[in-house]
Amino acid sequence: MSQLLFHLPILVILLPLAATLLCPLLSHFRLDWGKRAVIWGLFGAAVCAALQLCEVVNSGEAIHYYIGGWPPVYGIEFVIDGLSGLIVLLVAIGAFTTALFSSPFERRERDGTTVRSAGYYSMLAFLSLGLLGMASTGDAFNLYVFMEITAISGYGLIAVGESKGPIAAFRYLLIGTIGACMYLMGAGFLYAATGTLNMTDLAETIAQNDLANSPLIIFSIACMIIGFGIKMALFPLHGWQPAAHSYAHPGADPMIAGIMIKVPAYAMLRFFFFVFARDSRVMELFFDFIGVLAVLGVLFGSLKALRYETYNKILAYSSIGQVGYIAMGFAIGNYYGLLGAVLHIVSHAFMKAGLFYTSGALKYKYGIHEITQLGQVYRSMPVTALAMVVCALSMIGLPPFAGFFSKWYLALGAVQNGQYLFVAVLIASSLLSAIYFFRIFEQMFMAARSAKTEAGPDAPAAPATEPAAPDTAPDAPAAPAAAAGRLHLELPWQMLAPLLIVTAAIILLGLGNAYIAGEILAPALSEVTL
Amino acid sequence: MTELIDNLEYFLADRGIYMLALILFGISIYGMVCCGNLLKKLMCMNMMQVAIIFFFLTFGQKEGATLPVALAGQVTSPDAYINPLPHALMLTAIVVSLGTTGVGLALLMRIKDIYGTIEEEEITGKGGKLR
Repeated sequence: MSQLLFHLPILVILLPLAATLLCPLLSHFRLDWGKRAVIWGLFGAAVCAALQLCEVVNSGEAIHYYIGGWPPVYGIEFVIDGLSGLIVLLVAIGAFTTALFSSPFERRERDGTTVRSAGYYSMLAFLSLGLLGMASTGDAFNLYVFMEITAISGYGLIAVGESKGPIAAFRYLLIGTIGACMYLMGAGFLYAATGTLNMTDLAETIAQNDLANSPLIIFSIACMIIGFGIKMALFPLHGWQPAAHSYAHPGADPMIAGIMIKVPAYAMLRFFFFVFARDSRVMELFFDFIGVLAVLGVLFGSLKALRYETYNKILAYSSIGQVGYIAMGFAIGNYYGLLGAVLHIVSHAFMKAGLFYTSGALKYKYGIHEITQLGQVYRSMPVTALAMVVCALSMIGLPPFAGFFSKWYLALGAVQNGQYLFVAVLIASSLLSAIYFFRIFEQMFMAARSAKTEAGPDAPAAPATEPAAPDTAPDAPAAPAAAAGRLHLELPWQMLAPLLIVTAAIILLGLGNAYIAGEILAPALSEVTL
Repeated sequence: MTELIDNLEYFLADRGIYMLALILFGISIYGMVCCGNLLKKLMCMNMMQVAIIFFFLTFGQKEGATLPVALAGQVTSPDAYINPLPHALMLTAIVVSLGTTGVGLALLMRIKDIYGTIEEEEITGKGGKLR
């Protein structure tokens, strides 16, 4: 048993990998088996991630796992401290709930978003594997490999989405590859300057040899800002993001929009605060630059979100603003700033995933894309409406929810540094997000019942698609009829469960933020802040 | 004058090859932005990856050093071998670039199926506009 516990960091990666590889094989026999393999694999990964985080918190020390027993510098090392453990747990929970959430889509065909084959689940598990790896690795090149794994499966999941999916995916492929190449170039400069790729060793080498102001390191930092900036959709580099997030497959969208842009942000934090020396003049300039981008991004994203009527577009542009908050935390750079940035990575991942769950649920049930079609939808989908309200209020930053506390820490950090511009931007952008979310609430709760809603409300599971999807034939038929006989839910339970998990997570994160900040993050963050 | 030429020679011998990699990188970024044909964009993306691979392989080189294979009774000083790590890393990067290109080509086939063309302007005309 202790042996198994010792191998937890690699099990978190291996379980989704096994699911990825087994899924096409099992689906060859029955479509359902492959799907179950992925869901259980990701569930296992979530359990392992929770266990390893518990172990880190209990022992108070980071886990260093050497892959294949090769000690660091020669081999690849996984480092699980409170910070990366928390991100791994977040990704694993998001992956498991997303896999669960997308399982009902295979029975439906609305605007071509049916999950027809096992490839979809395989890619979803592969995407989770890449993100988990990015969060746990302690090796600069290994990070690149996991980043590309994430990206390639992400392209696939965006391409199987709605009508414009392939175009959005192709554009993301071009831009994302530039990002990955820039990161690789940055890692190359780092390697040329220090002769090592292990992050702990890199930090020591840079500090000992006083390399912080050498041109190679400066080039490396610049390349990494562009690389991670593209991957996390930081303001001027966000061109791929709105299309990719709005046209991705609605089942996988929570993962792509909620979590895929947060993990590069975490990797950026890992490099900028744990590897590069913080106290150099150059670094300060770079952080000022990131701060400017963050402010512009927050305002741009929030203003742009006001212009759209399409639900997904509003959410996508609001993400640009929210990523700006995270970058703002980096720019503030003191303990509270970083704490706010990390908490915002976690809470925004849950909030945005939750909002995209509601978007997917609306598409699944009524095919709603525009917020003008939402009229009185809360009557027939109360749980979805509840989840949407909780997520949106948390995005705006109302006190009991998670979003308030991350913004609070950011504001504390900004005040401590005397950067009052950031506080003003935080408040302005919260008001703007209140405007665009209240527009959605208005449509949902106060507008007249829309024609679209009336057309379809009492046919929750019209079994019109069975002949259209022959590969689902063995296990799909008769399910809607059985569901109608039992308790009448607004959505299949596989979709309700993620909605409730995310809602609970946002409330728990809000109530338990003192524990997370003090017990989990403080040991990891206090050593790097000045 | 001779000093200038000496300097130039030194620069070209020492840093020139990095400049070539940088130029290749610049050309490919330019191509990705300016080509109207999506396949050409994809080829430019591939060129960009080659430029990065080239960059890595270049700084793995060492003057007067040989292959990093230790044969019995031969040279034993580490100075006599080139650094094999960049080569090993780039093997992985080549595989990654192969995967990315493969996915890109598959996406192009889907785009061709849907819109009947891979020219960006024609796709935009046929309702493929993203905004």
